[in-house]
Amino acid sequence: MQNFLLAVDRLSTFIGRFFAWAIVLLTLMVAWEVFSRYLLLNPHAWALDAQIMLYGILFMMAGAYALAHQAHVRGDILYASFSPRVQAAIDLILYGLFYFPSVLALTWAGWNFANESLAIRENTFSPEPLPLYPFKFVIPVAGALLMLQGVVEVLRCVICLRDNRWPPRSKDVEEIDVEELKAMVKDAPEVRE
Amino acid sequence: MKKLKPEVAVGATLMALILIGIAVLTPWSSLNNGHIGIIMLCLIVVAMMMGFPSAFTLTGLGVLFSWLAYRSVDPNIAVRQTLDLAVQRAYGVMTSDVLIAVPLFLFMGYLVERANLIKKLFHAVHIATARIPGSLAVATLVTCAVFATATGIVGAVVTLMGLLAMPAMLRAGYDTKLTSGVIAAGGTLGILIPPSIMLIVYGATAGVSVVQLYAGAFFPGLLLAGIYIVYVMVLAKLKPQLAPPLAEEARHVPLPPHLAAVAQRHGRLALPALLRACVAGDAEIPRRVLCKELAIASLPLAAFVLIMGLTWNALTKPDETYDTTGLVEMGVTAEALDQKAEGGAPGIAEPPAEEAAPGIAEPPAAEGATAAEATPAPQKPAEAAPAASHGAKKTSRLPTPPAFWKVLWIGMAVLVVGYLLLNFPRLEVFRMLLTSFFPLALLILGVLGSIIFGLATPTEAAAIGALGGFVLAAFYLALEKPKEMRRRWWPAWAVLWGIFLFSIVWFILYRAQVVSTPLDRTVGTISMLAFLLWAVLAVHQVKLLPVLTESVFLTAKTSAMVCWLFVGASIYSAAFSLLGGHQVVENWVLSLDMSPTQFLILTQFIIFLLGWPLEWTEIIVIFMPIFVPLLSHYGIDPLFFGLLVALNLQTAFLSPPMAPSAFYLKGVAPPQVTLTQIFLGSMPFMALVIVSMVMLYIWPQIGLWLPAQFYK
Repeated sequence: MQNFLLAVDRLSTFIGRFFAWAIVLLTLMVAWEVFSRYLLLNPHAWALDAQIMLYGILFMMAGAYALAHQAHVRGDILYASFSPRVQAAIDLILYGLFYFPSVLALTWAGWNFANESLAIRENTFSPEPLPLYPFKFVIPVAGALLMLQGVVEVLRCVICLRDNRWPPRSKDVEEIDVEELKAMVKDAPEVRE
Repeated sequence: MKKLKPEVAVGATLMALILIGIAVLTPWSSLNNGHIGIIMLCLIVVAMMMGFPSAFTLTGLGVLFSWLAYRSVDPNIAVRQTLDLAVQRAYGVMTSDVLIAVPLFLFMGYLVERANLIKKLFHAVHIATARIPGSLAVATLVTCAVFATATGIVGAVVTLMGLLAMPAMLRAGYDTKLTSGVIAAGGTLGILIPPSIMLIVYGATAGVSVVQLYAGAFFPGLLLAGIYIVYVMVLAKLKPQLAPPLAEEARHVPLPPHLAAVAQRHGRLALPALLRACVAGDAEIPRRVLCKELAIASLPLAAFVLIMGLTWNALTKPDETYDTTGLVEMGVTAEALDQKAEGGAPGIAEPPAEEAAPGIAEPPAAEGATAAEATPAPQKPAEAAPAASHGAKKTSRLPTPPAFWKVLWIGMAVLVVGYLLLNFPRLEVFRMLLTSFFPLALLILGVLGSIIFGLATPTEAAAIGALGGFVLAAFYLALEKPKEMRRRWWPAWAVLWGIFLFSIVWFILYRAQVVSTPLDRTVGTISMLAFLLWAVLAVHQVKLLPVLTESVFLTAKTSAMVCWLFVGASIYSAAFSLLGGHQVVENWVLSLDMSPTQFLILTQFIIFLLGWPLEWTEIIVIFMPIFVPLLSHYGIDPLFFGLLVALNLQTAFLSPPMAPSAFYLKGVAPPQVTLTQIFLGSMPFMALVIVSMVMLYIWPQIGLWLPAQFYK
């Protein structure tokens, strides 16, 4: 069981991390376009559309990744002080009430939305059009990933209800990794140049 | 059995009150859609406190309630409409040309954070401020403000300063409460002073231009930081026991031996002594080292000449109406400077002006030489300075405005006084600031300046800023490597940067109409590739891959958090509108018959209260769509409102029970520091936030003057 949970975590993480590199691409692309437009006097009409697509893909595909590593912000003022079992019970109910209906909506309706776009081979509204339908398929794909990750989270809630202890998760980079920040402050040598 | 924690009690009471309120006040017998909308609004606060990820709480409530709304019209197609609405809203967030700047700014922040210069920054600022009262606290505030502004990551700044400044301050005998308040409040400044994510989020939610928000928030942000600093200084003066002055040895600036030797042999004042030593030579110290020191000492002069030269060029050029002083300082994002020049150049927009003054379009070579000399060779300011004034005399340009000469004389007087005061310890302090404070300040001002001056969109500036962050990280981490390694790298780096900078300088000269041919496309492409090659080389040589990877992953996670919250909030507010909730709120608020001031106070008070249990992201994405439409009834500028909200949300980080800054600090503070002490220490700073809000209310020009200069 635990293996299955971690395997799905790994899948979400892998996909999220893969598309995370879109930020490097996005940065380079915007910078290149600025350079090209101002310095080389050679603007590209498709650049902004492509940039927006990169941004959309980046955050949509990272949704499940963020869920797998609990990066979505929570109002945990009460939550943090509950016992794991109560936490799991609340989560379980709310996954059923809030999460699955909305993610299902995204996946299901997103699939139709994208297929309609595919049927007419929709392009961006631009003198140099880009195909838009692959971008729209990001919605159902991200929704399906969230669905899978949601199932895993629900299973975690069930396990926690049984054990009164949250099953372990794999580690990931944290925004505030105290140990790492400590090392940063301590080890930084005084440099003179 | 453990005691009930106060935050639990507060939260539970609040939830219970809201639920009871809903149960009692709802007219259950005559329930209409508007009532359901209000119930939905109250439920969101309760649901948020349940601890479920907020993005999905919002999406879930939004989907459920929009289904209710559609069902009341036509049950047959309600499900389909609900699904379509959810997808349309999600797609709307995916194609937002405002939110696209969020991941880019996050990326920049994570890269700058990992450039690992906070220790140097704190050390340098601390030495520089050693003589003023409460120096350590002031240094902490300055470091926090600069670093938090550049990174925008409040948690990381508070944690780092908690590790770095807190032990130092406590050791120096500073009061625990003051110490924790300074760090918690200082770190929070990062979400206020632009470029900050919060203003983008507000702009995207309220439909206010992010550019104007950035311009508007600049001075209020500085004002708040200034108020903090003045408060600390006054407190240290009045109650020295809270913030004792530093011991003499802590103020001492350690001089490297060769500088001490120069000071001893060639005189106390840095510039003349170094000049003498450089010209005459020194028995023990190689000339190369001396010239390097001289170059550092003459940097302010060079910068002054460069700025005044470019300003003069801009002022006397036909049709150039505003000055470029703010932009010249950007070393990192030179493109923005170029764009500035384009904005001011006559170009296609106003051809008659050029025809009217045909001789002026091609400036004589003399000025060209001035700019050309000043740009690549800051080491030769002495020659460049007279050249600048000679150029002015034989010009066929517009007459130089008298104000320019005034500024020039004042600037020169300041420089002379500065150089008369510049002894070797001060030179050493200057050097420390040069390698820590100035790069960050330039990055911030470059990004912000290019946005405010309208040279780049926030997205473009953020991308260039992210590259700047990468360059910072590469150079700072390279400086931590052994010297022999760096020696091997420098030649390749210098060549690649040379090619890249060649294009930039060419472009500046082209825009200043010094050279008449635009940059060749092949050359330009090659120089961009040179930069890319350098980036790859730097990643390989300095072993930047872990830093880059971490920043990339964190950017993805945090962007997902912010943008999914937007997806949720977008669906939620659509449902709220569908139910007619806005109408009910509007009618109710208008029926209260408040004056604009009362309305402002009420909304700000509500936001302040919401800051107790909720975080700023949630407050903005849920409640701004409700407040902002009401503003027009009271004639309040949404921009001005946004600035007040931005100040107000500072308190959301500091107010118990849900005070992220305080918790971050507690996480790394020495064990004897209690959470209560941190809360108590933050209280005066929260009061100062309110003072700053009152000041902004009384003198709205603090915030509105700068946007008005550019966009009215």
